[in-house]
Amino acid sequence: MSATVLALATDAFGGCGGIAQYNRDCLSALAEAGHRIIVLPRHAPDAVDPPTRVTQLRARASRFAYSFEALLIAVRSRPDIVFCGHIFMAPLGWLAAKLAGAHLVMQMHGIEAWPRPSSLARRACESAALILNVSRYTRSRVLDWAAIPPERALALPNTVAEFFSPGDGSALREEWGLEDQKVLLTVGRMASSERYKGHDRVIAALPELLAGGHDVIYVIAGKGDDVLRLEKLAEGAGVRERVRFVGALPRERLVGAYRMANLFVMPSSGEGFGIAFLEAMACGTPALGLDIAGAQDALADGELGVLIGPNDNLAAAIARLVSKPKPAPHALADRVRAQFGREVFSSNICAAVVRLCSGASTMSATS
Amino acid sequence: MCGINGIFAYHPAASSPSDVELLATREYMRPRGPDGSGEWWSEDRRCGFGHRRLSIIDLSDRANQPMVSLDGRYVLVFNGEIYNHQELRREFEQRGVRFRTTSDTEILLHLYARDGESMLGRLRGMYAFAIWDARERTLFLARDPYGIKPLYTANDGWTFRFASQVKALLAGGKVSRDPEPAGLVGFHLFGHLPEPFTLYREVRALPAGHFQWIDEVGPREPKQFANLAAILAEGGKTPTPASELGPRLRQAVLESVKAHLISDVEVGVFLSAGIDSGALLGLMRDAGQQKIRAITLGFDEFAGTVEDEVPAAAKVADQYGGEHVVRRISQREFQDDLPHILDAMDQPSIDGLNTWFVAKAARELGLKVALSGLGGDELLAGYPSFNDIPRWRRNYGALASIPRLGRMTRVLVQALLPSVARHQPKALGMLEYADSWAGAYLLRRGLFLPHELPALLGEDTTREGLRRLRPLAAIASKLSPNPGSHIGRVCTLESTNYMRNQLLRDADWAGMAHSLEIRVPLVDWQLTRSLAPSLPSLVRGVGKSALAIAPSVPLPNEVRERSKTGFSVPTGAWLAHTAGAANKPLSKGQASRHWSRRVLEYPKLYTEKAA
Repeated sequence: MSATVLALATDAFGGCGGIAQYNRDCLSALAEAGHRIIVLPRHAPDAVDPPTRVTQLRARASRFAYSFEALLIAVRSRPDIVFCGHIFMAPLGWLAAKLAGAHLVMQMHGIEAWPRPSSLARRACESAALILNVSRYTRSRVLDWAAIPPERALALPNTVAEFFSPGDGSALREEWGLEDQKVLLTVGRMASSERYKGHDRVIAALPELLAGGHDVIYVIAGKGDDVLRLEKLAEGAGVRERVRFVGALPRERLVGAYRMANLFVMPSSGEGFGIAFLEAMACGTPALGLDIAGAQDALADGELGVLIGPNDNLAAAIARLVSKPKPAPHALADRVRAQFGREVFSSNICAAVVRLCSGASTMSATS
Repeated sequence: MCGINGIFAYHPAASSPSDVELLATREYMRPRGPDGSGEWWSEDRRCGFGHRRLSIIDLSDRANQPMVSLDGRYVLVFNGEIYNHQELRREFEQRGVRFRTTSDTEILLHLYARDGESMLGRLRGMYAFAIWDARERTLFLARDPYGIKPLYTANDGWTFRFASQVKALLAGGKVSRDPEPAGLVGFHLFGHLPEPFTLYREVRALPAGHFQWIDEVGPREPKQFANLAAILAEGGKTPTPASELGPRLRQAVLESVKAHLISDVEVGVFLSAGIDSGALLGLMRDAGQQKIRAITLGFDEFAGTVEDEVPAAAKVADQYGGEHVVRRISQREFQDDLPHILDAMDQPSIDGLNTWFVAKAARELGLKVALSGLGGDELLAGYPSFNDIPRWRRNYGALASIPRLGRMTRVLVQALLPSVARHQPKALGMLEYADSWAGAYLLRRGLFLPHELPALLGEDTTREGLRRLRPLAAIASKLSPNPGSHIGRVCTLESTNYMRNQLLRDADWAGMAHSLEIRVPLVDWQLTRSLAPSLPSLVRGVGKSALAIAPSVPLPNEVRERSKTGFSVPTGAWLAHTAGAANKPLSKGQASRHWSRRVLEYPKLYTEKAA
């Protein structure tokens, strides 16, 4: 069975954010399984060539032009599925699906889907045949406001790209002048409007770690308008020389950073999923997060990484982990692949689409 | 009666299910099955089943569960009884199949292996079960057409769980307790939790007469395989003359009673002074049962009043040669038992006390199984609602269908005559709800009406709850296809709402708490099917009279002419007293309202205690 999918996405093949990556993963997996994909992006910075059976149309930034184009394609191409990549576009997705007589599939990422949306968006989401949620937590929040049969809401976690793998990270250590120090790493945006990633908590834990004789360096990768405040925070805590802001890293250097770190730590309270946890662990580095929201999924309820409560002593947890030698990187990476690898991801989304298109809730037990 | 539970980590990212959780859930259900327990895990430990057993058919250990098919492909946990298991067994034996046990459990494995989901059409009985197919890696759940046996599920997006009780699922420690506003609103509207909702958003009932598949993607939406409205509509197409009701009923109900007596342990009966249970006792005798112990509740408060069931019940027991056991209940015992009652109540309910005490009495006698006359009023038009609802539709339906008239009248009366509005909420609701069958039914059975809820639950919870529950649409959906007659419609409404969500749930938790299996021969799909052609011509009173003369020796006149009391306890006074409203006399409806508030406080206490 092969379906035609019209994907309404903010960005997909082009764009570096988590949402673009997720869209690419979803659509590529469906294309590989033989479905035909038409992508209409709002933006396509640094556009990359889409895989076979995927056609990416010209990006339309204007809301009006985008909506007009989406409805036009819906009518002309008669897709079987309208895949709507963002809750803000749910009403448009609903209308496109209605015009095309197609199933609406909604994608929910993180915090944007947690509060109850406008009543128009809510009704549009409730008309969806399937809502794909990046984590169990997001799914639960969506079911809080969406009156739909819960079976229509699936938790389909992020996958991690193949190039995040164990290897030698010593070059980057050398470049950054880190020798035998224990390196703590956080990768994430530092936006003054969000401040949920937990940088503050790690900085606050450093004095206790140092006092306990742990020779730690905290490397912060990523960019954002909150860097200055964090620098001041570190200064105030007397640990400025222990905190390195290395900015946003290109892919190869990011992989290197994950590999050389002793511990990936991101005590975030608002992750939709927390893909950086998976990337770090796929590179063989242990990860530590809070037992809140999407981080529970990325760390597999504590089976892959370590989860602590928001009121637990972070410094003590870090100390415990860095005083042990780094565990065998390949063993951890293999477990990450077994649970979140591309194969798992593809098989899941393809099975969900097959179930949707077959429309049957039954199957033969004797088959 | 047994307790079943299971965990299936269907998503590869889900953490491995633990023994600790499986056993915590299973052991919470210990009273459901004190005779034995079992545990099973798939080879990769991604799926596990737990079972607590109350042995009733094939008492040997061979019949323990979870039960694995000979080839190892299928694994079953099952709660209930399959009354036609011997007939099904013969069918398989004729084809050379050899059985390892004499249980009804094993037949389910063979049927499923052969017929898949279409097996459900072959079963007569009450059941909730789960079957794991190791080859396809699928889980199959099913629940009987009337929903006599409970089955609750919870899905967090990666892991699917099921159990016979909501509280057992919570006891496992991994299921979210986030509240479900539809459950809360439903409880206030009806006095019970309307399925599929529970008090918790993640926990749902598998609806009666539905099955569900769970595979690598997760659970599929439950699918209906049995629809009461449909069999009544079907029967209504070939109506039989009123004169045929008697013989048809006699034959069908005797056959049902015979089927419900299949057991390897003694079967007793709950006996009130009403027609339903008296007729059951007579029919048990007709079916050939020699020793029959019949239990009646007695209350000193009722002595010498029309509500005292003991004298009439004694007469019935005497007539049919039953051993009559009268169990006296005092207000003191009620007060002492109250904490246990609230603990045993799986989901809040405004009733079930009567069943608690009669089940307790049965257990004291050492009984494991008892028949109950539950369902007679639904099937044979015994309730006043069979007259009221059609009459309301006839008298007020046209007026109520004038847009906004009902609402405006209510607002006006609330403003000008607030005490009338407070004391007569239902009369006031007539112009608002009598425009549909669903509305009239809500009015008939409602504990509170929707417009009263904001004062109790707040605006936001009420709005969200009503939006999710859609009470009128949910009730109306039960009437599809159109059962074709007034009697058929009310029978469907009462059976799929009040009986399913209140009476049968109460019979389950109250019986279960005393390790007693309550069997209900008047709630039987085959019986209903046989009677469906006779129902459209039924007049209230006639059906029950026909039941009274169904035994070869008819019930005594005294019972036939007595107005219906059922099993009642002095609930009005006791509940009002307990709910802190003892100083003023209350009607039963008002007492129920007070009591509902008290009951609802309890799950909160439970949540906090356990959390």
